[in-house]
Amino acid sequence: MGSRLTVAKREIAGLRAEKTILLAIGIQLFIAAFSSFLVVGLVSMYDPGALDGAEVEVAAAGDAVADLERVAAEVPGASVTPYEDPAAARTAFDRNAADAVAIATREDTGKTSIAVTAPDATVETTVIVVQLRDLLRTYERVERVERADSLSRPPLPLPDSTGSSPYFTFTYTVLIPVLVFLPVFISGSLVVDSITEELDRGTLELLRVAPVTIGEIVDGKALAAVAIAPGQALLWLLLLELNGTPVANVPTVLLLMTALTTLVVGVAAGIAAVAPDRRAAQFLYSVAVLVLFGGATAMAGGPTNAVARLAIDSATPATTLTVIVYAALAAVAYLGVRRFITENGIGE
Amino acid sequence: MIRRASRRLRRVVRRSRRVGRVARWEASRAAGGVDRRTLLAALALLIVAGGVLGAGAATDVVGLDVDRDVYRVGVDPASPYADAVEAEPALTAVPAEEATLGSTADLIVREVRAGGGDGPAGDPAGVLVRAVDTPKGEAAAASFREAVEAHNERLMAAEPNDTAAFPVTVTLRYAARGSALDDGATFGGSGSDAGDVSDGDGGGTDGSGVSDAEGGDSSDSGTTDTSGSTDDGSGGAGNDGDASGDGTAGGNDAATGDGGASDGSSDGGWWPFDGGDGGWWPLGDGDGSSGIAVPSIGGGAFGADTAGSPGSITPPFPFASLVLAFAFLVPMNFLAQAYGSSVLEERTNRRGEPLLVTPLSPTEIVAGKTLPYVAVAAAVTALIALVVGGGPVSVLAVLPIAATFLAATFVGAVFARSFKELTFVTVAVSVLLTSYAFVPAIFTNVTPVALISPLTLVVFDLQGEAISVGEFLFATGPTAIAAVLLFGLGLGVYREEDLFTQKPVTRKFLDALAVRLSAVGESVRESPPTGIAARIPGRIRGLAAVAFLTACTIPFVFVAELLAVAVLFALPVTVSIPVLLVVIAFVEELAKSVHLYAGFERGVLARTDRVALAVGLASGLGFFLAEKATAVVQAVGLTELYVGRAAFGSVAGVSGLSPLVLAGLFFAPLVLHGVTATLSAVGARRDRTKYALALAAATLLHAAYNFGVVSLHG
Repeated sequence: MGSRLTVAKREIAGLRAEKTILLAIGIQLFIAAFSSFLVVGLVSMYDPGALDGAEVEVAAAGDAVADLERVAAEVPGASVTPYEDPAAARTAFDRNAADAVAIATREDTGKTSIAVTAPDATVETTVIVVQLRDLLRTYERVERVERADSLSRPPLPLPDSTGSSPYFTFTYTVLIPVLVFLPVFISGSLVVDSITEELDRGTLELLRVAPVTIGEIVDGKALAAVAIAPGQALLWLLLLELNGTPVANVPTVLLLMTALTTLVVGVAAGIAAVAPDRRAAQFLYSVAVLVLFGGATAMAGGPTNAVARLAIDSATPATTLTVIVYAALAAVAYLGVRRFITENGIGE
Repeated sequence: MIRRASRRLRRVVRRSRRVGRVARWEASRAAGGVDRRTLLAALALLIVAGGVLGAGAATDVVGLDVDRDVYRVGVDPASPYADAVEAEPALTAVPAEEATLGSTADLIVREVRAGGGDGPAGDPAGVLVRAVDTPKGEAAAASFREAVEAHNERLMAAEPNDTAAFPVTVTLRYAARGSALDDGATFGGSGSDAGDVSDGDGGGTDGSGVSDAEGGDSSDSGTTDTSGSTDDGSGGAGNDGDASGDGTAGGNDAATGDGGASDGSSDGGWWPFDGGDGGWWPLGDGDGSSGIAVPSIGGGAFGADTAGSPGSITPPFPFASLVLAFAFLVPMNFLAQAYGSSVLEERTNRRGEPLLVTPLSPTEIVAGKTLPYVAVAAAVTALIALVVGGGPVSVLAVLPIAATFLAATFVGAVFARSFKELTFVTVAVSVLLTSYAFVPAIFTNVTPVALISPLTLVVFDLQGEAISVGEFLFATGPTAIAAVLLFGLGLGVYREEDLFTQKPVTRKFLDALAVRLSAVGESVRESPPTGIAARIPGRIRGLAAVAFLTACTIPFVFVAELLAVAVLFALPVTVSIPVLLVVIAFVEELAKSVHLYAGFERGVLARTDRVALAVGLASGLGFFLAEKATAVVQAVGLTELYVGRAAFGSVAGVSGLSPLVLAGLFFAPLVLHGVTATLSAVGARRDRTKYALALAAATLLHAAYNFGVVSLHG
């Protein structure tokens, strides 16, 4: 055990001397800040309620305009002003007196057709279209209820809408998994670098003369890489906690994350041991990680989803079982790789 | 004259031959590094993944629902709401009798029957929702409401009575204000109402209306016939080109003969697409059948889809184009990684030394080493463009991004001490450049600021939108210049004493900066001038170098400030503006003084106050001139944004001021930059601590000035 710790200590000392681990943490901070920028930006485009007092003024005309006006009273973000005829409504639009034009016409088939004109590409277009959709959907709902007798299965009544922060789901299902898994990839990449560098510089030969086995060297390197991962994740979770986002099941999340780090580190060590040089090793590692994580995320009960459910406190016994399965998988994969390396050596 | 030209030509030929030789060597080595076995292994991995995903998709366990089952809803399994919950991935149903609010459920749903009581008869008349009193409960309730809405849409879609299920049909079109005052006709084209075509401007319109609608039909499964007739009804309303014109139908616009031809081309309504495929978002540039067009989102976004119900309206957002544009960025990361490895491998065990002692210049070596990667980038980009349906513009726009990726990686690889350090640098480069390229592109249709990213051009290109030369240059210019400057920075230390030594990244960085300076002041070591520098008189050579180096930082200052704007955007304005002002001041002060510090540290600049004063003023002048040169920014309307105005200073709203004040306003930045740069220089000539303190003082001074300007302009 002592020799493993020595190797691990040497690895960590190297990282500390270079200080570039700070760069890695900086990158993660940047990603966190940037993704919230993205979400705020996108959400304010899609959820105009997030913008203060966004009210869309619709100039309406046509023979069904009275219905439209009645419905608009129920929709918070839109108001409808009736005009004599389409030309008058359009003039109002052109004079900037209205944000959009809606011409509602009853047709012989019994349907109402609405021709809507929205202003072309400006920042507000998206907001206006979203509000218009709200208005028109409400109108559709009202019309449906009036015709419910002709429907074989009437639509279900909707619950009242509640104000909800649109960032909430994003924080738990995207931001937290990203922040938790970034250190995993970094650790794997570190192991690839560490092993290929020893090979490249020829220092592995020196290590072999020392009284350590090749398995112990791999163990030490893996130990260092796995050890630095949960700390980073914990840092992020604590930061989120400070920021008013409670994270549940932190130990389980960290356990899952450590298991995945072990898995990825094992894969990375295996790749580094067989690949001819760093370029090939890093390339294979990137592809493998993409495949592994892409595949696992797409599966039901993938690690991303498991972390989201744990963090948001919707975990079921099945989620805990998933964590155990991942831990077992990681142990098996790592031991397999280690055995492979002790039998075949590194870079031979 | 001719002789000189021919001599120059011969030199260029000789140089390019040398570069070509290094390039061939690098390519053969790279092919040896990532050998066939590696490629096969990678391919095998991808095939396995594809197979697993395919099998998963077939058995329905695959779905990119990161939010699967995050909210637990207590609902009676017999209730119709259970179906709605079942169909929504984010919700998971808990039987109502087991559900306890707060512990096993976040939400409890109980339906209200018309006749009172919970009898099974009849349809629900209402619904009661109780949620836990936390943000999670609110989010769960919102999610549940969406689930019910989606469920209703599905119910209605299965309904035999179409008129009752979808009583409202919507046609959405976009128009510029004031583009069509001859109305009545504009709105005649509602839906399938054939009558309104005759409302149109004249008989000529009718004919084209019919053929247009057919054209739309054939390419887009009927989704556009409503839009087609809207357009034709309006005739001269100027919206012809976009929604209707695919190949053949496009020709009809010219044949309408309603005198609206000039209209149509001048005010062309929404986005003058050249050859749309009939949908509102003509993403493919053919007729929708060639290449991988993106019809599902393309057609549906118009809102006049087959049902034409209000639920199908989608706000204008170039989602598909963005996803495709992202595909261009993915290979860059792999390429940068391989390139970085190659450069760093030169440096381990002094492997690159033999190459350095050959008659090849460092520039030739680096150019040769880089060329294969640029070629691969070009090839991959062209391939992707071919697959996703981009044109030459896409390829040309992506190449500067690729060059910047490689340049930044080159600098990282020249500075890094080990593979591990290189990994961190590469990841940082990838993340920063990817977000710099990708994020502005998200706002492609919203603000002109998006054009700072070349990727925006790709999105435009994928949408089939015309791009002017000015736009192209604005988008690609800064990125290309940044790539050149980064290569220049790295080349400065591509020499024996720096390549094969282990120095911290920061010290290498200072070395690289100091290389670009010339001596100022007495008793400093001086290397004989070469190139253009030799033609400048010795006295001002050093100062010119200082000013030039400062001017070269402008693209990076620009990028850093934009990133700051983007990151701080999330904060409320009261916080973000002051923080932004300080951050921007700091970035600019650092850009003006870090090379001065490097010069003093490396002994290129004499450590006297007189020299500090001179180089400080030179640096300030260089920055001022470069900043004014980038006033192009304002031509593109960057200053329309409030935050942008704070960042880049505004000349808007000065029309009412006297010439004297205007001149003062114009030259005030010069004074400011000179003063603050001198302040930092005086600190930098002493030691690191003094430099940090002086930099902080300069930053505060600068920030105070910025604050004054912002409040002056309101």
